[in-house]
Amino acid sequence: MAPERVTIKGTSKGVIVTIGAGNWQNTLRTLAQKLEQKSSFFKGGRVAVSVGDRLLNADEIAAMGELLTEHHMTLWAVRSNAEETRQAAISLGLEAEADTQKTSSRAHKSAMPNTPGGSNEVVTIRRTLRSGQTIETLGNVVIIGDVNPGAQIKAGGYVIIWGRLRGSVIAGAVAPENAFVCALELKPVQLIIGDAIARAPADDRRSKVIPEIAFVQDGQIVAEAWG
Amino acid sequence: MSGTVITITSGKGGVGKTTTTANLSAALALEGKKVVAIDADIGLRNLDVVMGLENRIVYDLVDVVEGTCRLKQALIRDKRVEGLYLIPAAQTRDKTAVSPEDMIALCNDLRREFDFIIVDSPAGIEQGFKNAMAPADRVLIVTTPEISAVRDADRIIGLLEAAGKGPGELVLNRLRPDMVQRGDMLDIDDVVDVLAIKLIGVVPDDEAIIISTNKGVPVIFENNSLASDAFKNIALRLNGENVPFLNLQPDTSFFQKLARLWNG
Repeated sequence: MAPERVTIKGTSKGVIVTIGAGNWQNTLRTLAQKLEQKSSFFKGGRVAVSVGDRLLNADEIAAMGELLTEHHMTLWAVRSNAEETRQAAISLGLEAEADTQKTSSRAHKSAMPNTPGGSNEVVTIRRTLRSGQTIETLGNVVIIGDVNPGAQIKAGGYVIIWGRLRGSVIAGAVAPENAFVCALELKPVQLIIGDAIARAPADDRRSKVIPEIAFVQDGQIVAEAWG
Repeated sequence: MSGTVITITSGKGGVGKTTTTANLSAALALEGKKVVAIDADIGLRNLDVVMGLENRIVYDLVDVVEGTCRLKQALIRDKRVEGLYLIPAAQTRDKTAVSPEDMIALCNDLRREFDFIIVDSPAGIEQGFKNAMAPADRVLIVTTPEISAVRDADRIIGLLEAAGKGPGELVLNRLRPDMVQRGDMLDIDDVVDVLAIKLIGVVPDDEAIIISTNKGVPVIFENNSLASDAFKNIALRLNGENVPFLNLQPDTSFFQKLARLWNG
């Protein structure tokens, strides 16, 4: 497995720590190592942590805050795409906001054309998206798990689902040209790629299930066997 | 003694949370356990009605939380079986009268006295749901084989996972094997497929439930219906016993399907 992705950047607004997907304990260890190497440089800084789609509870956020305190830095904000994580941050008296690194409707409107690296970013989710859960990113999305009815994905680029797609997907919001959506079982409630929109055929009763990939051809969404 | 807090929830209303709470509480008591059922649906209480204890209410959950009475005074003893108690909800207040911390503190007191504390959650995902969820050691999610109920159950499971309360265990209520066989109702596989959590029981649709609810006598006291057997089996499974699923249809293939679900 790839090493846990942790980057530390100094900006005019303070230090921003960006944390990628992966095992949380390993991530904390990686963060500790990086702080060890760079703490003199960032000493005294206030830190916003950007955690993407990761779900964190209050204890986990507090532990991260303590780690930063040990290195003479102050955690003041958590940026997350998950409402649950933002609530946990607020309960600790921290600022919480949508993870503008990758997403948010604001970024969608104003910063879309020239977001640095925006559409190359891949958000990887290793769980089933259940009803009411939403993933939003300017980049691409990889889901290892199912996307249940009532769940929604909005992506700037492509969406790959290693599981069953039964929710709704908007792909190619930023880069429609090369956008596609594929799943081991492609049965979305609604599928939007760029400007094209499609619904799964209603007569899906127990026909054979094959992995499929959907993309836009002549302004229409077409699906064919994947792989 | 340190009892287990089991919260019964569903998201959608009208799928049988209260009936499940009443019957599982009674069934566990019949197994010789000391059980208290708590109605967390403040403002819309009806666990007391289903259990037939409405006329015995003096104090309620809000009275306990606000210190108007002692905990013991609000415990209504069910005289039909040894070891079964109820803490009713207040009818004149709303969900904000109780906080998640209050529920945790209350359940921690009750753990010392009882083997099982069964909390009947209100429908929805708001304050009342959060109150009911806070003290839970285990969560049972009740759903019926309808798309809307399954959708809401899925939402609830997502919220449970985010809160670190695990995915919960599933009770599939009001299954009609005849309709499933005709292809007019979601079958067990369809539901378990979407929700992907452990199935702890399947309760068939049964007129006996409606009759018993109206009489205020949990169906398991009547002892002569499939639904009653199904609830008893869930109680045994909660108690850690490995009970095979009921044969709801005298049809081997269906039975094998159930057995496979349980074993796998």
